[in-house]
Amino acid sequence: MADLAQTETKTLKEPAHHERLITGEPSFEHVTDSVSSIVESKTPKAWWVLFGISSSATLLLLVAIAYLFWEGIGIWGLNVPVAWGLAIVNLVFWIGIGHAGTLISAVLFLLRQRWRTSINRFAEAMTIFAVICALIFPAIHVGRIWVVYYVFPIPNQMGVWPNFRSPLLWDVFAFGTYFTVSLLFWYVGLIPDLATLRERATNRIKKIVYGVLSLGWYGGNKQWKHYEMAYLILAAIATPLVLSVHSIVSMDFAVSLLPGWHTTIFPPYFVAGAIFSGFAMVMTLAILARATFGLKDIFNMRVLERMNLIMLVTGSMVGYAYAMEFFIAWYSGNEYEMFAFVNRAFGPYAWAYWIMISCNVIVPQFFWSKKLRTNIAFMFIASILINIGMWFERFVIVVTLSRDYLPSAWGYYTPTFWDIAILIGSFGLFFSLFLLFLRFLPMVAMSEVKGVLPQADPHYAGNKQTYSQAVR
Amino acid sequence: MSKKNGDMKIKGKDYWRSLDQLADTPEFNNFLKREFPLGAAQFDNSWSRRKFLTLMGASLAMAGLASCRRPEEKIVPYVERPEEVIPGVPLYYATSMPFSDHAFGLVVESHEGRPTKIEGNKLHSSTLGASSAITQAQTLSLFDPDRSKKVLKGEQEKSWNDFVLNWIGAFEEFKQNKGVGLAVLSGMFSSPTLSRLKKSFDKNFPNASWVTYEAVSDENIYNGTKAAFGKRYRPNYSFDKARVVLSLDSDFLLTESDSINNARGFGKARNVETEKDEMNRLYIVESGYSTTGANADHRQAISSGDIGAFALNLANALNNLGINVAGTSAQLVSDKKFKWVNELARDLAGAKGASLVVAGRRQPAAVHALAAAINDALGNIGKTVLYSEVSDTSSSDSAGLQSLVADMNSGSVSTLIMFGSNPVYDAPAELGFAAAMSKVKTTIHFNDYVDETGQLTTWHVPKSHFLESWGDTRSYDGTMGLTQPLIRPLFKSVSESEMMGLLAEGKATKGYDLVRQTWKNKNKGGNFESRWRKILHDGLEQKSAYKSESPGVKNSVISKFLRDNPLTNSSGKSGMEIIFRSSPSLYDGRYATNGWLQELAHPISKLTWDNVAYMSNADAKSLGVKNNDVVKLELDGRSLELPVWIQPGQAKNSVVVELGYGRKGAFKVGDGVGGNVNLLRNFSAVGFATGLKVSKMNRTHALACTQDHWSMEGRAIVREASLQEYRQHPKFAEEAVQHKPLESVFDEHSYAEGYQWGMTVDLNSCVGCNACMIACQSENNIPIVGKEQVANGREMNWIRLDRYYSGDVEDPETVHQIILCQHCENAPCETVCPVNATMHDAEGLNVMVYNRCIGTRYCSNNCPYKVRRFNFFNYTKDYSEVEKMTQNPDVTVRFRGVMEKCTYCIQRISAAKIDAKNNGRKVVDGDITTACQQACPVDALTFGNINDAESRVSKKKKFNRNYALLSELNVKPRTTYLAKIRNPNSNIKKA
Repeated sequence: MADLAQTETKTLKEPAHHERLITGEPSFEHVTDSVSSIVESKTPKAWWVLFGISSSATLLLLVAIAYLFWEGIGIWGLNVPVAWGLAIVNLVFWIGIGHAGTLISAVLFLLRQRWRTSINRFAEAMTIFAVICALIFPAIHVGRIWVVYYVFPIPNQMGVWPNFRSPLLWDVFAFGTYFTVSLLFWYVGLIPDLATLRERATNRIKKIVYGVLSLGWYGGNKQWKHYEMAYLILAAIATPLVLSVHSIVSMDFAVSLLPGWHTTIFPPYFVAGAIFSGFAMVMTLAILARATFGLKDIFNMRVLERMNLIMLVTGSMVGYAYAMEFFIAWYSGNEYEMFAFVNRAFGPYAWAYWIMISCNVIVPQFFWSKKLRTNIAFMFIASILINIGMWFERFVIVVTLSRDYLPSAWGYYTPTFWDIAILIGSFGLFFSLFLLFLRFLPMVAMSEVKGVLPQADPHYAGNKQTYSQAVR
Repeated sequence: MSKKNGDMKIKGKDYWRSLDQLADTPEFNNFLKREFPLGAAQFDNSWSRRKFLTLMGASLAMAGLASCRRPEEKIVPYVERPEEVIPGVPLYYATSMPFSDHAFGLVVESHEGRPTKIEGNKLHSSTLGASSAITQAQTLSLFDPDRSKKVLKGEQEKSWNDFVLNWIGAFEEFKQNKGVGLAVLSGMFSSPTLSRLKKSFDKNFPNASWVTYEAVSDENIYNGTKAAFGKRYRPNYSFDKARVVLSLDSDFLLTESDSINNARGFGKARNVETEKDEMNRLYIVESGYSTTGANADHRQAISSGDIGAFALNLANALNNLGINVAGTSAQLVSDKKFKWVNELARDLAGAKGASLVVAGRRQPAAVHALAAAINDALGNIGKTVLYSEVSDTSSSDSAGLQSLVADMNSGSVSTLIMFGSNPVYDAPAELGFAAAMSKVKTTIHFNDYVDETGQLTTWHVPKSHFLESWGDTRSYDGTMGLTQPLIRPLFKSVSESEMMGLLAEGKATKGYDLVRQTWKNKNKGGNFESRWRKILHDGLEQKSAYKSESPGVKNSVISKFLRDNPLTNSSGKSGMEIIFRSSPSLYDGRYATNGWLQELAHPISKLTWDNVAYMSNADAKSLGVKNNDVVKLELDGRSLELPVWIQPGQAKNSVVVELGYGRKGAFKVGDGVGGNVNLLRNFSAVGFATGLKVSKMNRTHALACTQDHWSMEGRAIVREASLQEYRQHPKFAEEAVQHKPLESVFDEHSYAEGYQWGMTVDLNSCVGCNACMIACQSENNIPIVGKEQVANGREMNWIRLDRYYSGDVEDPETVHQIILCQHCENAPCETVCPVNATMHDAEGLNVMVYNRCIGTRYCSNNCPYKVRRFNFFNYTKDYSEVEKMTQNPDVTVRFRGVMEKCTYCIQRISAAKIDAKNNGRKVVDGDITTACQQACPVDALTFGNINDAESRVSKKKKFNRNYALLSELNVKPRTTYLAKIRNPNSNIKKA
């Protein structure tokens, strides 16, 4: 802890004096080169292999969705009482993943946690793609896809509006806002780097595409001033979304009257869980990118360790929430509530519950050890386990449906091939999008990273570079 | 489709308003332009919108007529005359349904000549307006595309005329030799016309043999009464007058004959309005767990073979109380293995003349004789049980079947007619009926399907459904009823009367003429035509029941009988006991083609689409089997493999199996469902047998059960008390759950004016007969989904019958609870729907807007009662044209992806409101009955306007037994329950 505190105080000081956030003392030019070259160089074979796998999985998703539309929701294992299944689990899971991106790019930006610069682009892209994956599910899980537009408040001849009391409608607005703001925020952040790529472009197509996308950025003082203001405002708009979106997702459950769903702890617990799972996903991806593209200086141990500490904190919060749910269930004296939680731990889905507990509560506790939280292999495995655990958390919550008030109506939900297919397919889509991002856009915010280099300090002794050199 | 359709497919007519319009004169067009200036433009065009709509309307009306299959003869509608058909307004016709050796009086709702819904006939003593699952399901059987469609000779399609000509030849031949070599194997019937024709058959062919056989029959009962009284009597029970009832292995509330009336009477005697009321007490000893057992105050699981011994013990105990039971003196025993015999005896003795002992049809004649003797000794005959001699009836005769098969094997039968029976499937396997049949030169099969027998015979003649036939019936008490056709035969089939007429008289006569002839003979003198019209209208002839008698037991006869047929279990065979039960849904297998009944959950086990080997937990343990494991049942060298189902409360060392499954001629619905237990049946023991060997097979068979969980988990769901507890705590039901007063932050809808609908479900009356479930299915176009979907928890029933066990797994008590949409005032489903597809209407109904539903299923998740049903697939897409005719036109047929649920039969509410409005009055109590309520024989369901303090439902809601299920959730359900009361004998200590 002492170490952590020391780091914090140092971070708040002038850039010239604080600890190096980017190791290896790269020059501005080196940063630009190392990030841009990934986009500019020939597509590596490994990329094609990975893209081949993930796009096949995407194809599976498309087939699963086409079959779903053709045949009906019955191809999934749903029933009454468990009328929601993997589609909703995946929705909550992917929305949760997205949250880390927003947290890193917006909240940490406002809090001036400048170590975020190395991962923020990356994390924001992840947000966008996770939200895209998530948004598939509320659309396809309805029984009559062809009238899904009824959920939008479109004036119509019948004079019928959506039901503003329904949490599902709140979802429509929450997801819509979240996706729009995240996309804008990400895109605005990309503009200076797109301009860099435009400048470096070697063929005409790239020049035109990057040129159009960079919106005429030339790096003038006024532009930077407007840019920074816009970025700050968008960060301010995005920040409450980190809390609100997953709170609203949690209300899909919390607003119902089902034992095990109807709890007030859900909003904060969902937000903590979302950040927890999001950081785990960023970690998985960062370690992979770091290893593949040799960005060890940018995704350095200091950044990774901080992320592990956030996982330790949010993981403990989630663990606390699990414990508190049990306590409140007992303390409430409500027999249905008590049963629901005992049933979670010892009922037919106990296996899922204990996977969740082991992965979400026990695994992050190992990060108390400095040795483990700075061990790449360990943190890689832990991040994957945490993602599995967080997926199961949502699964455990959804299948709480299987046993509610009247024992006569109890049932059991077994996912079918098509349930699993959309899960695999959504990962396929996510990784496909991510790989395309890695290939065509700068995965690290070059302009921001340069801002935390020692050279960025006007008083930096060795600063001989001019700005025009830096953007090259 | 009939020939007439061709003529009907003419182009829709052009309707015109005046001759000028027809002439299309300029004057007329000018006139139109003046009168309808806005619409004037339309008339310039010869194909205007208006004209198009006119033509469309007319051609649609004509297309609609093509599906009308009104019977050709004049029949009299129940309420309105057929000339007054108003499209969209159903007509009701009285008819009666032949069943076993009795019948049910019914009223059938017909939409534009299409029977869609069956109700009981309020005038007919067999139903008094109520019905059963089986009667309700008949519309689906009628519109079954798998029914036999044509006369067949071998594989060849023939016409009815071919058969008639063929038979006339044979007729003359047999008439010469007086019927030598001619044999008929008939199903049971109870019909004046068929009896009349059978008599002429007997006259024409004195040497022919006529045998009646069905797999489920009251043969033992008739033999038992013969042994007791010297005459073959049918008992008629008055459960409403019986304070103490003992059932000896009798499921009189569901699967025995006359169950609708039994349930009604039983319910009446059990009904309590206040804690001061008295109620009856039911004791039962049985092997399997029956619906009647679930309603008992004291139940003892003993093997079926021990029932006789139990009855003897009872006779002994009564004897000790000074009540001598005739014919038993030599055999009286006192066996310690039976519980509460003495207490029961005292209870029965204390209710002399108001008690009743009934025995089940699978018990041997001796038990029935003894039951009659006990009733006689208790002075019940003439009070709670009356006897009548049946006539116009042909009842099952198993000895006759045995000798018929012997004749067939010896080659002395040259022509065998199977009249409405399917012996290849349901004759006990030991007979080898199919093999014997192959030795008969000409075999003629007359039935509604090309079933197991029909596939093997020389000729097959399709039998019309009773809803398309002229016929007549005598019900259980002998009331004469008419069967009138609601529709012309869908396929090229002939009615029972017509076939019998041909067989007996050698000429083809119309069914209508045959039936009229019979009734004319019976109604000599007076104006027959007006009586006939009245009989057609009512569906029955009043006061035509059999004469009720109160005979005395003949001591000498019964003594000898009981000596010759000892009651104690004396087979001496080792091994388990196997008990053959008729299926509460499929009966003896004749309804195996009916999807509603196949998918109807068994009232106790909640299984669908299968029959199983029920066994006790202890037996399953010792065999090392669990649910779904397949076992091999071996009896007398024959074997059958069935999956195991552990039935709590079943007698140890016994296996219960149900008839009606394992069909091979039941087509797409019934083929391959379950196993045919007739393969194990012996004539020596049709009801039950010992010597069964059970061995575990190494495979499983997945069963589809609609309720996996047995226990109520200690929750106050079904609230129940003994009569004694009820008297001490009259408000026990409401007090079972304590919670703070529930308040709303909003002003709630006041319902100050108009109607506010509500319902009560009396758990004390409900016997668990499932009639409401099929009534709802039929009324509301609920699809069947098949076994796999049921196993996956996707059954569609809007109303369901929950079953919970309590107590010891070897001797549990069972309760039933009807669950349907509770129409909560604070409905949790409504708030969560994102598109407002489920909402509250001004009369308190929670309504479903199918067109608006996008299928998020959130409402189902948030329903604490889980009454919502989702169309996971397009279940109704593949209905054939014939099946579509089953659908009620007043109810939307739902599409894939929408949620549905009980609507309180909103179409009936609307119809009643429109009717009341047209008559310038308000809807009054009793105008509206929901489908479930109408079917219920015990009036467990009451629906009405709760704004009206005088309505029955309001009054029932004021009963102190009234409680709202899950009221602590503040959902304010409109359906409330009246708690169940049991009336145990306080002298019997619970184990």
